[in-house]
Formats: sequence, C-alpha cells, structure tokens
Amino acid sequence: MAFFTWLQDTPFAHWVASDPSLLAYPTILTLHTVGMAIVVGTCVVIDLRLLGIGGDVPLTALVRAPRLVWTGFVINAATGLALFTTDAEHKATQKVFFVKLSLIFLALGVYARLRKLVFRTATPPAASISGEVKALAVFSLVLWTGATVAGRLMAYLL
Amino acid sequence: MTVPALDPLIEFIRSTRMSQIFRDEVGWLWPLCESLHFLGLSLLIGAAGFFDLRLLGFMKGVPLRSVKRFVPWAMVGFAVNLLTGLIFFISQPQQYATNLAMWLKVLFLLVAGINAMLFETSYSDRLMALAPDAETPVSAKVIGAVSLAAWFAVLYFGRMLPYLDPNPRSGV
Repeated sequence: MAFFTWLQDTPFAHWVASDPSLLAYPTILTLHTVGMAIVVGTCVVIDLRLLGIGGDVPLTALVRAPRLVWTGFVINAATGLALFTTDAEHKATQKVFFVKLSLIFLALGVYARLRKLVFRTATPPAASISGEVKALAVFSLVLWTGATVAGRLMAYLL
Repeated sequence: MTVPALDPLIEFIRSTRMSQIFRDEVGWLWPLCESLHFLGLSLLIGAAGFFDLRLLGFMKGVPLRSVKRFVPWAMVGFAVNLLTGLIFFISQPQQYATNLAMWLKVLFLLVAGINAMLFETSYSDRLMALAPDAETPVSAKVIGAVSLAAWFAVLYFGRMLPYLDPNPRSGV
C-alpha cells in the first residue's frame, strides 16, 4: 500500500491529476479512448469476419491487424498507467478495476490463440472456419464487451 | 460558451417527463448508455476505419467490395451512439447545448456524413469496379483520410467535452 501512496504523491501523478493544461488528464484520458477504439475496434472486426457475419473479406486482409492491436495496446498500457498513478491507492483496491484487467488479459489471450490458429498456419487461411475458431471469436466479443463496460463502471463502483 | 437564446429550449427539454425519467428515476441508465456509447464507438471506428484504410491503399489485393461489407456494422455502431447520445442530451441538455466542444463534435459528424454521402453518390460505383491489386485513386485516398480524421475528431471532441468548455451551468 505504501508504494501506491508514494506513487500517487509523485510529481508526475500530481501533474496528470491536477495540472490545468488540457494536455494533462484530459488528453491522456482521450488517448486512452483512442487506444480502446483501435484495439477493440480491430478485434471486433476480426471476430465478425471469423463468425462469417462481416462479409467475405479474404482473411489475408487481416494479417497486418496485429500491428494495429499492438499499437492500441501500447497506447493504452502507457495512458492507463498514467491514469492509475492519479488514484493509485483507490484503484489498487477497486474490484471492478481487477475485473477489467482480467478481462483484457483474457481477451488478448484469445486474440493470440486466434492469431495462431488463423493467421500463422503454414497454409493459406482456410476458406472454412473451424468451430473452435468461431467459439473463440464469440468469446473475444464477450470479453471485450465486458472489459469496456468494466472500464466505464470504474467511475461508478467503489 | 454561453448562448442565452438557448436557455428556454434547455429549460423546456429538462421539464419534459422523458428528461425527468432519464435523469432522476433510472439511476443505472447513464452508466449503461455510456458503456453502450463506448462499445458503439469501437464498432464504428473499427468497421469504418477498416474501409478507410483500404481506400487509403492499405491491404492491396483485397477487393474494396468485400471490405465495404463491414460498413453496415459501422452504421450499427453509429445508430447505437446516436440513440445513447440523444438520451444524454435529453437528460442533461444544459451540459451539451451551449458547449463549444459539442458543436465541434456535431460539425465533424456532418463532415463524416457528407463525405460518406459524396462517396456513395459519386465515387462508389467506379471504385468498386477497380481491380483488387490496382492503386486506389487520389479521390479514394482523400475520402478515406477525411473519414478517418473526421471520426477521430468526433471521438476527440466527445471525450474532451467536459474539459474543453467547462460549462458553468452543468450540475444544475
């Protein structure tokens, strides 16, 4: 706990939390939303395609998607840490925050598995999509929805 | 931003039964709509952004026609956000009606909408006939870039809304 108290009291945390500049808290928060749109948006597009309800785009169109997911994730890890410092003592004990983190890591795990199954096979992506892949795509949609809702609820739940 | 001329409208909206129900009687409505608004924006930017990137010339070899099949999903995201956005506005009109960031958000929504309409009416048919490997023309690149920039501007002014133009009347 002492660590979080110290973290919350660093000059950086004070700057993020209370500097009147729009570049502090507001911009960091907005970048966190931009990163979310990139990560969740890209994963949802992939899931919809794998479920066959996003049209007939060749799966090869999506082989570069990992770069987008990775970029969004880095933005959100960085901005998320900065936002965490402003309220570290509280967030370190906030249940819904741990729910959010768990859902994100599960969703990223599912995404890594999908990548391996669909995009990293030696043969070109198959025309027919296996039941396992479809199940993982549904799981991914559920997890990203949950993570987004949990993130929003951090502003409401203790 | 203060626009006294809008005060009667704001007061009227706040006095409606619908506004009172949204604001005072359904406590979970606001967080629910916020969650849906965030999910809607992810779907909108994911699906529209995918098509915009293809227009910009990424993912060459992939037919524009099949990437365009994602556009209805962008419209689903937009519909969710229009509905939840209206609920925010009807509940707390004083937070939005005279907020400069809100109007800039609406401006960029119009830019994105007009840009998409222009694409549909004047460029879509020609571009859809393009060979999958062909370089996308400058017109397609401009439309893709404008769309991408406009949607991120909408997100920016939406998220920055409470900070860009702190409204002295909010919390009424």
